[in-house]
Amino acid sequence: MLGAAACGGQIADNTPASNGSDFVAGDGTATYYQPGHRTAAPAVSGTTLSGSKLSLSSYRGHVVVLNFWGSWCSPCRKEAPTLAVLSEKYQSKGVRFVGIDIRDQASAAQAFVQNFSISYPSLNDPSDQIALDFRGTVSPAAIPSTLVIDQRDHIAGRVIGTASYGSLDSILSKVTAGT
Amino acid sequence: MTDVHTPQADPAGTEADPAGTGAGPAGTEDGPALDAVLGERDAADAPVERPAAVAGHFGAVAWARWAWRQLTSMRVALVLLFLLALGSVPGSLLPQQGIDPAAVQQYYNAHKTLAPILNDFGLFNVFAAPWFAAIYLLLFISLAGCVLPRAYRLARSARALPPRAPRNLTRLPNSESYPTTLSAGEASAAAATFLAGRHFRLNRGDGWLSAEKGYRREVGNLLFHVALMGVLVSISLGGLFGYKADRLMVEGSSFADTVTDLDAFHPGHFVTAGDLAPFSLTLDKFDASYVMSGPDRGQPSVFDARISYTAQPGGATRHYSLQVNHPLNVDATKVYLIGHGYAPEFKVTDGRGKVVYDQATPFLPADQATYLSEGVVKAPDAKPDQLGFAGVFLPTAVDLSGQLESAFPAALEPAVSMIAYRGNLGENSGVSQSVYQLNTTGMQRVGTAQEVLTPGQTMKLPNGEGRLTFVGYKQWISIQVTHDPGQVPALISGVVALAGLVLSFLVRRRRIFVRAYGDESGRTTVEVAGLARSDVGGGFEGEFAELSRDLREQLTASSKEQLTASSKETE
Repeated sequence: MLGAAACGGQIADNTPASNGSDFVAGDGTATYYQPGHRTAAPAVSGTTLSGSKLSLSSYRGHVVVLNFWGSWCSPCRKEAPTLAVLSEKYQSKGVRFVGIDIRDQASAAQAFVQNFSISYPSLNDPSDQIALDFRGTVSPAAIPSTLVIDQRDHIAGRVIGTASYGSLDSILSKVTAGT
Repeated sequence: MTDVHTPQADPAGTEADPAGTGAGPAGTEDGPALDAVLGERDAADAPVERPAAVAGHFGAVAWARWAWRQLTSMRVALVLLFLLALGSVPGSLLPQQGIDPAAVQQYYNAHKTLAPILNDFGLFNVFAAPWFAAIYLLLFISLAGCVLPRAYRLARSARALPPRAPRNLTRLPNSESYPTTLSAGEASAAAATFLAGRHFRLNRGDGWLSAEKGYRREVGNLLFHVALMGVLVSISLGGLFGYKADRLMVEGSSFADTVTDLDAFHPGHFVTAGDLAPFSLTLDKFDASYVMSGPDRGQPSVFDARISYTAQPGGATRHYSLQVNHPLNVDATKVYLIGHGYAPEFKVTDGRGKVVYDQATPFLPADQATYLSEGVVKAPDAKPDQLGFAGVFLPTAVDLSGQLESAFPAALEPAVSMIAYRGNLGENSGVSQSVYQLNTTGMQRVGTAQEVLTPGQTMKLPNGEGRLTFVGYKQWISIQVTHDPGQVPALISGVVALAGLVLSFLVRRRRIFVRAYGDESGRTTVEVAGLARSDVGGGFEGEFAELSRDLREQLTASSKEQLTASSKETE
């Protein structure tokens, strides 16, 4: 009756976006889209966990990494240190990280952010409206999902499930190099 | 070839049976349509040109024919059906990806060598496995291979002319013969006019006339068979393009119909994330009423989930009262209310004095009669140690000599009883966990002075390690989101199939044969015979008697007219 599964990392395996045999949550499926094969990302804006307004349009010209997460989701907890490190590494190369905190409550989410020393902001999206806006583009197909948006607001990469350092680093190095 | 007893084989049969024994054509007639499907398959089974029969030069075409016959035979269809049932067995023995991914993960950890092998055979996702699809597809082809040729034969039979009349009509079960003053040709012509007037389809030859009626029976048969294919296609349409998803919602929370926001998602093969109807739904309030007294005390009387929803992002907000068997219909997608429960609200403060958890937490009912519910609270970001709590929610708590029980499903005296743990929740490893279970392997139970809390009460962990407050409670509902594009076509096909079946049962296909011949003395004899090709309901004898009588009167009337005309001529 109830989907007793906490995290949706596995849901990806049922969607055509992923390869069907890969269902160990944690082996995120990473995809890189060549320039010219990228779809435009929808406008994203909202209120951050700390209560301020944030719109992705203020990051125009930057590469943006959007990470869909929840404090209750084990694979998200696993990838959090990786994202924290990569956000520092690519800060100087103009990459901006933004979290989208879904199906979560403020206190647990803030405790998560502090615990993993995450310095980038997260939009509070308890009802998953932002993921809905990505419908018809390259949509986040699981929790966690990570999207890389290039300088011209086009989706250049996606990781479904736990993002490993290697997979996200390789996408980011290509996108920042403009290839 | 294989049609030993199909309608269009009949004309030949009647010809080959000039005596018209009657038992012949009538006996070989196909029965009601349902039997016909089976009977047809048996027929296809029986006279298969077996490869052995033409051993030596058995070409590819012959092999293909043989394989096709085998595939469309009843026996193979049954074997496939059995395989389909057998194939679903691992689905109930092994954890399934679509149903309980966390269990699959656990199985992987427990059986490191076996699990990848099982996965290669698709045993963790049986219904999406290629071999399962192969069985399903073969079964589909088998059924189609049976039904379609039959439908074609029925269509031909519905257009066919009646066969020529048997030579000896008096040997048919219903027959009459009488003299007439008309010549043989005139009698034949008069009978043709009469039968055409009764909407018979005619076939005439030298001295004989055969007429047939009741072709609507074949139309019914045809409808039934085509609709049967329609049902099959509709079902596979639903399986390939439909999806089913589950979601639990606490009062006040919202959800968007997108893959990331569903608890469980079972899509068809061709469903992509973009195919989901982009509606959003908020549970404003849920009411459950129970019978308060009498023998049905505690039985639910009303479940009412008041929701607001938008069909499209940015669309207008509408309100709806979601009830059991009263689903919400949005964008060809249905939302059903399938369950409910309680979500006690907890606040967890860690050893540093920080609030690390403050939310309603769904507990799952363990006892449907009293709604005693079980659940856990996990605070993975508590410091210095992660904290976890496992326990029960009692909607109407009563103390039965030290044992706490729930006496009623409504929340009249809500209370929780929780056990505290600290240590490692095991969540940071990345392995998915159920939010309804606490993995206590890395945790240590902490004794607390108080375990039972009523709303507003707090339980303190020793040494200032943290505290848990039972703030109050909310209710949750579980909904099922289903999209089945095959539903309406399946319903229509089902209705058409039924109508066709009824038509084929009610309409009798019958033939009337007339022979008129004159003897040496110049007298003409008319022989009339009738044959019901299918007479499930009975009553053909009466119809024949009436027809025969009317025909005789018609012939008599014609001869009188002729007499009058000829007498006028002579005057």
